[in-house]
Amino acid sequence: MKDRDIELPHYGSVGLPAPMNAREASLLGTLQMSGRAFGIWVTMLGAFVLWGVFAYSLQWRHGLVETGMRDQISWGLYISNFVFFIGISHAGTLISAILRVTDAGWRRPITRMAEGITVVALCIGGSMVLIDLGRPDRALNLFRYGRIQSPIVWDVLSVSTYLTGCLIYFYLPLIPDLAIVAGTGAIGSLRRRVFRFLSLGWTGSSAEWRLLEKSISVMAVAIIPLAISVHTVVSWIFAMTLRPGWDSSIFGPYFVVGAIYSGAAAVVLAMCILRSALHLEDYLEPVHYRNLGLLLLSFSLLYLYFNVNEYLTVGYKFQGGEKLLLERLFFGDYAPYFWTVQAVGVVFPMLLMIAVLGPRRYRHFTIPGLGVASFLAIIGAWAKRYLIVVPTLSSPFLPIQRVPEQWSHYSPTWVEWSITSAAFAAFLLLYTMLIKFFPVVSVWETRPEEPIAEVPVRAGFGPPVWGHAVRVPLLLIGLLLGGAILARAGDAPKGKPSTPQPPLLTIAWKALPASETPRIEDARNAPSPLFAGRLSAIARPFPVPWSQPESRRPDNNGSYQEIQVSAQLRSSQGAPLMYQPVGFSLKTLFGSVDLGARPTDDEGKVEVVIRDRRHGTYPVIVAYAGDGSNRPIRSQALVDFGARPLPALPTVGVLVGPDFSPEIGLPFLCFYGGMWCVFAYCVGYLVIWRMRRARETWPQVQPARCRPEESVG
Amino acid sequence: MAVTRRGFVHFLAQGAGTVAAVGVAWKASVSKVFHEVLPSRSIAPGNQKWVMVIDLAKCDGCRDCTKACNAMHFVPPMQEWIKVYEVEDNSAAGSYFLPRTCMHCDNPPCVRGCPVGATYKRTDGVVMMDQERCIGCRNCIAQCPYSARAFNWSEPPHTQAELAQPYSVEHNYPHRKGVVEKCIFCPEMLRMGMLPGCAEKCTMGAIYFGDELEDAVTNSKGETIQFSKIAAKGAGFRLMEELGTEPRVYYLPPVNRKYPSPTEKHMHG
Repeated sequence: MKDRDIELPHYGSVGLPAPMNAREASLLGTLQMSGRAFGIWVTMLGAFVLWGVFAYSLQWRHGLVETGMRDQISWGLYISNFVFFIGISHAGTLISAILRVTDAGWRRPITRMAEGITVVALCIGGSMVLIDLGRPDRALNLFRYGRIQSPIVWDVLSVSTYLTGCLIYFYLPLIPDLAIVAGTGAIGSLRRRVFRFLSLGWTGSSAEWRLLEKSISVMAVAIIPLAISVHTVVSWIFAMTLRPGWDSSIFGPYFVVGAIYSGAAAVVLAMCILRSALHLEDYLEPVHYRNLGLLLLSFSLLYLYFNVNEYLTVGYKFQGGEKLLLERLFFGDYAPYFWTVQAVGVVFPMLLMIAVLGPRRYRHFTIPGLGVASFLAIIGAWAKRYLIVVPTLSSPFLPIQRVPEQWSHYSPTWVEWSITSAAFAAFLLLYTMLIKFFPVVSVWETRPEEPIAEVPVRAGFGPPVWGHAVRVPLLLIGLLLGGAILARAGDAPKGKPSTPQPPLLTIAWKALPASETPRIEDARNAPSPLFAGRLSAIARPFPVPWSQPESRRPDNNGSYQEIQVSAQLRSSQGAPLMYQPVGFSLKTLFGSVDLGARPTDDEGKVEVVIRDRRHGTYPVIVAYAGDGSNRPIRSQALVDFGARPLPALPTVGVLVGPDFSPEIGLPFLCFYGGMWCVFAYCVGYLVIWRMRRARETWPQVQPARCRPEESVG
Repeated sequence: MAVTRRGFVHFLAQGAGTVAAVGVAWKASVSKVFHEVLPSRSIAPGNQKWVMVIDLAKCDGCRDCTKACNAMHFVPPMQEWIKVYEVEDNSAAGSYFLPRTCMHCDNPPCVRGCPVGATYKRTDGVVMMDQERCIGCRNCIAQCPYSARAFNWSEPPHTQAELAQPYSVEHNYPHRKGVVEKCIFCPEMLRMGMLPGCAEKCTMGAIYFGDELEDAVTNSKGETIQFSKIAAKGAGFRLMEELGTEPRVYYLPPVNRKYPSPTEKHMHG
């Protein structure tokens, strides 16, 4: 504690040059990357991006006809890229948040580069969806008319929340570095001004450190469920369909594990490349590769397990709609691709990692071996996304018929390949710019003595933190809900939908007493006699207002309405006409239902009983063809078969309403709304508001000589 | 702070109190915030439940329905809103013709998945499609197990007759680039009390259409039959019943056909 007290960093008054050691000086050299190699690299990437922009301009003008997608295979490279980049974005969260929460000290030099991958990959992934839209000009409809029942809206919600969270999580640990770097001569005056602005006047007082660490810890905890939710939601775009191969309950965790696998591979690859490119040997030591390699290896094993689980369960049964898909994947036209991806993307990297991490004699190959393995893992991850998207769409339930041959086989066009390569180039370019603009390794976290870093994980969970952490979001949720109630109370239903007209009475018909025709009872619909009473007793205090299980049953197995229509046929003198055929028919909207002909009895009466599932009022036409002494006659009477049900959406439909469905909307809004509350708390309250107050109450005279014990207590 | 029994009970009581308070607030708010009043676009002009019955025993695969539909809606090339498949349940049973419209499911996956409500269910059972709202994400195409949806990959070729009328969600033309198209049961014909184009033009009288609440369906020959009886006695089935989409299009099995099956047609034709 004594040492810490002395070593406490206070790069404080920003103008002062901070103490730098040699490796930090060489690290900050990356901020001024330039030279021929850098120029060529950036120009090349920029050329790819520009070419992609040109390809997209064609697509914008002519429509998606420029792609290889057609009605049958309507998602292709773009959606594969989307899933891939969102998967890559798991890198930052895994490395940074999980390792930070578990307090793994070796993470420090790699957090910044991992979080950078996350931010950039999310930007690229999100834009891939926009590129895939048929009407990008209407993308704002997602906000104007968004329906929370749609997985696409979940994606918008989760990816935007995740991007915001990752930007915050990238930015927070950057604040002290910005102040440190702005205090050195490593950057030009313009960037120094930007850095000073972004560092929010960081002085390095212990109160600021405490607030920052608290903020980072809260964000680290919040971002883990957020990341898992994002990858799950991405999988739900597919898993919420009925398509063979997608309609799978394992897809959520399968995608999460695949995302962590590809994300960790991206971090390892970035480490391998940046280590030699930027000479970061001082920071990135073999232990980092070994630890991350073990992590990557365990995730490749887990991913292999999920692959086996996914394909064995369906491949063993080989049933229904999956049969065609699996035939094509295992033995058919996709088989070479499928087995190559499994071998080169999953099995081979796994074996290679075991070889370079396991036996002692190959350990000197760890870094290049991991580089190759992670590169193959990334390529395999991308190809696997393609194999998830395309084969399923090309194996629909109904056969693909009467379309041109090339419509039933997806092959991407040059436009799609250009945009895809532009996406990869843009990813690399943005990442290059990011590490040129900001220090690629966290400076303050990798200082030999981390004064406060060990403390706040504990402090972050102390009672005062929970007080604010809970109260502020609760208050915000309450405010949101209250506002929503007030807003909706205004547009309460103005009038009820009009009821059907009162029935018209005719004298020629009557409804027979309702007789329940024996109907086939489906035992699954019957309530369990044992638990029914108890369940309702339990459920009664908390009835869910929007679900009426009684009305959800299909109503078409109700009873038949029996209507007796009788007519009496008399001659012009009033005498009953006996044993004459009289025809009955019922006029409907498009035609008339023939109810058959009957002979009159000895009183001239005839009756017919209609037992149909009919609602509403219909003219029943009674016709007599006439004979020698009587002219044909035709008369009609309006017969009421009972009121039509009120116009309503079908009760069997699940989540098909036009409006916000609370049963699915509330969980989503609460989860992501809660995340936004956490963001507001971490940035708005802790980092901006509290820090400013801390600086006001702790004037500059205090050169951070406070005792860190205070923050511990 | 010392851990006491009283303190722990107090702690549990606080938790229970919080849960109860949240429950009460939930109950009070949910009914106010999420009351269900249908927007006007979801309410059909009439109080019907449209239903279609396709008698596969009568379908000889002439595709008059497709031609009529294409002409009536100016359907863009390469799209068939009603498509006649040649399907084979197993090789022994041989093949038969299967006209496939939009199934207008009562539990429509496309409607569930549409992010902007561009495709929506109407109270008369029709699954509508609003090309002025569609953003072209094609999630509905992925969702539809019947492959009943098509997409305008490029600007469709226009005709004068098509452009003569302004766009209406009830006839879905003029067509435009980048949106999804599908069969909509011809609402403008229904409004006029006429059969949809395919049912009207089926020379075999294989397509029956009507109101389920009337319990009657009518074909192009003016034959009106009782829907519940034909569905029950004719062993009516719906496509992919096991998916739970609850289609509004029923099929009668292709038994006792009087015309050559697709295989025979291919052999002789």
